[in-house]
Parts: sequence; C-alpha cells; structure tokens
Amino acid sequence: MTAPPLQAKDYKSELKPIWCPGCGDFGVLQGLYRALASIGRPPHEVAFISGIGCSSRIPGYTTAYGFNTVHGRSLPIAQGVKLSNPELLVVVAGGDGDGFSIGGGHVPHAVRRNMDLTYLVMDNQVYGLTKGQLSPTSPKGLETVTSPLGSLEDPINPLLYMLAYGCGFVAQATPADMPGMAALIEDAIRYPGFSFVNIQSPCVTFGEEDQQLKAHKTKLKPLESLGHDPTDQLAAMDLARAYGTELYTGVFYKNPKPPPTYEALVKLRQAEQAKKARPRDRVLDAYLQK
Amino acid sequence: MTKQPVQQAPSVNFEAMTLKDAIDLAVLIEEEARDRYEELAAQLILHRTPAAANFFTKMVRIEELHRSQLLEQRRKQFGDQPVTVRREMIFDVEAPDYDEARMNMTQRQALEVALRSEQKAHKFFVSVLANVQNPEVRRLFEELCDEELEHQQLVKAEMAKLPPPGPHDHVDVGDGPAPQ
Ligand SMILES: Cc1ncc(C[n+]2csc(CCOP(=O)(O)OP(=O)(O)O)c2C)c(N)n1
Ligand code: SF4
Ligand SMILES: [Mg+2]
Repeated sequence: MTAPPLQAKDYKSELKPIWCPGCGDFGVLQGLYRALASIGRPPHEVAFISGIGCSSRIPGYTTAYGFNTVHGRSLPIAQGVKLSNPELLVVVAGGDGDGFSIGGGHVPHAVRRNMDLTYLVMDNQVYGLTKGQLSPTSPKGLETVTSPLGSLEDPINPLLYMLAYGCGFVAQATPADMPGMAALIEDAIRYPGFSFVNIQSPCVTFGEEDQQLKAHKTKLKPLESLGHDPTDQLAAMDLARAYGTELYTGVFYKNPKPPPTYEALVKLRQAEQAKKARPRDRVLDAYLQK
Repeated sequence: MTKQPVQQAPSVNFEAMTLKDAIDLAVLIEEEARDRYEELAAQLILHRTPAAANFFTKMVRIEELHRSQLLEQRRKQFGDQPVTVRREMIFDVEAPDYDEARMNMTQRQALEVALRSEQKAHKFFVSVLANVQNPEVRRLFEELCDEELEHQQLVKAEMAKLPPPGPHDHVDVGDGPAPQ
C-alpha cells in the first residue's frame, strides 16, 4: 500500500512559535511547510540549519532535523551537514543580520562552492531579536536604538550581492503573497545547486510602517508580470538594483544549465581516487615508501 | 456573466468541480480557519492578551462546528469515497492573515479581525461563483456565500455589545522574544 501524500501539517512541530503576534515569519513558516509538502520528502530526510535571531528559530518549529547554530555560522555548518550526508535536503534559514552582517564573509564562499543548499533569508531590515538595532539592510536614515539620529550608512543589496557572487538561483518573496512565496521556496529547493530567496518578512515590533505586509500587498510587483526572462543574468542584475525602492517578487535569475554541485564533484573525485587506492592490507606501505 | 479571476487556489479548477470535491474543499476552508484561530489564540495567550485570545478560542469552536456540519453533509451524500482535494490547494480563504494579530490587541480588534476574515471569505466565494457551472456546486457555494454574510452580522452584533474603543486601543507596546 502506498503511503498517503505528505501534508503541510506533517512538518509542523509541537513547539509553539514565540514570535510577536503579527510577525512576518509566521507566514514564511507556513509557506515553508507547504513547499515541503509539495516536494514530498519526509521530515526525516530534511534538515534545517539556522544561525541566531528571531527568524533563526525556524528549525525548532519543524519536525525535520534541525540545528539552531551560532550567530552568522549557519552556512558553514549547513555545508558540513550536506557534505556528510548529501542525500539530506538541507535548508538554511536566518535573518538579514545573521546572513549579511556577522555571517557575511561566509556567503560568497558558500555560493561559489555551490552545494545543493537553499538559503532563505528573512529580511526585515533590522535586528529583531536583540530589540531593533540597525542591520546591514536597514535603509539609510532609519532611526533605531543604535542610530537615534538616523542611519548614515547605505544598505547592502542582498539580491545584487548574490547575483554578483554567481548564485545560480536568486529570488525574492513576501508572505503578503502566500501562494507565490510557497511556490518560490519550492522552486528554490528543487534547483540543483545553491539557491537563495530573499524573503521580505516584516518585523511588526521594530520594523517600519511601509515595510509591513499591508504595504507589501499594495506595492509588490511580480517579475513575471513585467515579462522578465529569469535566464537573463544581466537583466536580473538591472532589476535587482531597485532593491529598497521597488518590491519585485519572483525569480530574478535561474541558471538554465546548472553546473555540477560540489558534492557531486567530491563523489567523482572519490571514485577516481578509489581506483588508485592501495588494497587495505597495503595501506601502510605508503609510509614505508614501498 | 463575465468571468472574474479567481482570487485564490490557482490549482483548483472550479469550472469542472464535482459536488463531492466542492464540499471537501469547503471542509478544508473551515479547517484552515479553525487551525489559524487556534494559532492566533496560542500566540495571544503566550503574549498575555487574554480577552482577544478568548475570542479567538471561541472562533475555533465556531469554525469547527461549521466544519463538522459540512462533513456530516458529505458523509450523507458521498459516504467514505476518497478525498481528492488537498488543503495545500487553498490559501487563507477564511483564515485571518497572520499579520492581523497584535500583542495587546483588544477584544474589539479581535472581532474586527473576524469580520475582515468573513468578508474575505465572502469575496472568495463570489469570485469562485463567477466560474462555476455545475448547478449543485453553484447551490453549495451560494449557500456558503450567504452564510458568510450571516456570520458578518453575528460579529457586528457582538461588536455592538462592547464598550466604545478606548484612546489607547491602537498603542502596540509589544516587545520581541528574549535575546539569545
Ligand atoms: C556572536 C554573537 N554576536 C551577537 C549576538 C547577538 N545577536 C543575536 S541575534 C542578533 C541579530 C539578529 O538579527 P537578524 O539576523 O536580522 O534576525 P532577526 O531577529 O531580525 O530575525 C544579534 C546581534 C549573538 N547571539 N552572537
Ligand atoms: S521582534 Fe520582530 S522579527 Fe522578532 S518576533 Fe517580533 S516581530 Fe518578529
Ligand atoms: Mg533581521
């Protein structure tokens, strides 16, 4: 008898989220459950790896394997997990601070190594968990507890960063469009290589009024409706420049010819090396220069 | 009649829908709303907002009642024939959006959430009806549409019993989770 298809609720854990009521991360979590149900891999074949932050609490709210690691270190740990068990579906989740501030140095290397990982950043333009400090995506002029007179810095542009690093799948979503967001997460997970989704997930407690879901609903522009071709990397970069002014949703770029993943190359290398390997009872000969 | 775009569930073909699938979908819509109210109630209990939490808990019972009534109708007409529609086909039809909840929200604000959700569901059934041909399915959706209007009246009647809104009702003095 075949098992009944998996449902979104099969990925929901008993733990109740402690996020502030109204937080955008609730919608992201729901979209994630649905994307996983659609993909159909059972929870024991999935692992969530996160850093530290409100958004990084995601692993605890799923029935999959999970590791709420160290602030900014989700990507190195996720790569270790994937390399030790390439069969696992590994999803990395965290915030804009976790990913682009303290963890920013890991991002280009994770992208260029190209493991089959999906990186979901819940970009709320603020440090939510530590009570509303400036984050690397905070808009210039933003008043926070660490910038009481307004931020003097330009924000980073995560979409442009990822495209410039050579990421094969770059998309943006918002829980203001739940079906669209769930479909994008699914698409990102199905992409065979490193994929990135910047999810504009509002912080209701420390975020700006014009960054809330009600505002998203009025200003979001699906890239599909603009006739954007997601295989055109330069057009993607051009559109990505509008981060912070326009709310484009959908796939900016999807490599039509995904290169082999790092884990696939490792497997090939292992197979090549295995052919040259000495028989087990001759292994020590290498040290005896025989 | 002009065809309107269906607001939700793009993967559902309403034009070719059978009565069995339509009832099953209606059951799932009530189930989704019940579960969402349960989640919102849990959030507000956690964040010490008891009046709104109690109202959402009441909504859990109401949505469950609607669900069980539809399920009963389904059992009578179709017995235990397998369900072929899936909850993943619908998104927040009658369930309040997550961003409707707020720490320290008042009972009146909670009622307003329920009202907006009933209005949203009504709009959904109206948009769906524009694409439904099967007369039995039309009748079901028309009934559900009317029920949504009745529910709106019930919520409004409840609201009328409440004291008028206070000057601090919209002050959101919440704090985030404990830092790590
Ligand atoms: C090494 C280290 N430095 C700083 C912190 C404090 N800290 C915890 S979460 C956080 C920032 C969270 O912001 P973000 O990643 O955007 O997540 P959000 O809470 O907004 O979802 C900081 C600075 C920490 N836990 N560990
Ligand atoms: S502080 Fe902000 S990001 Fe954190 S749970 Fe609350 S609303 Fe969400
Ligand atoms: Mg943040």
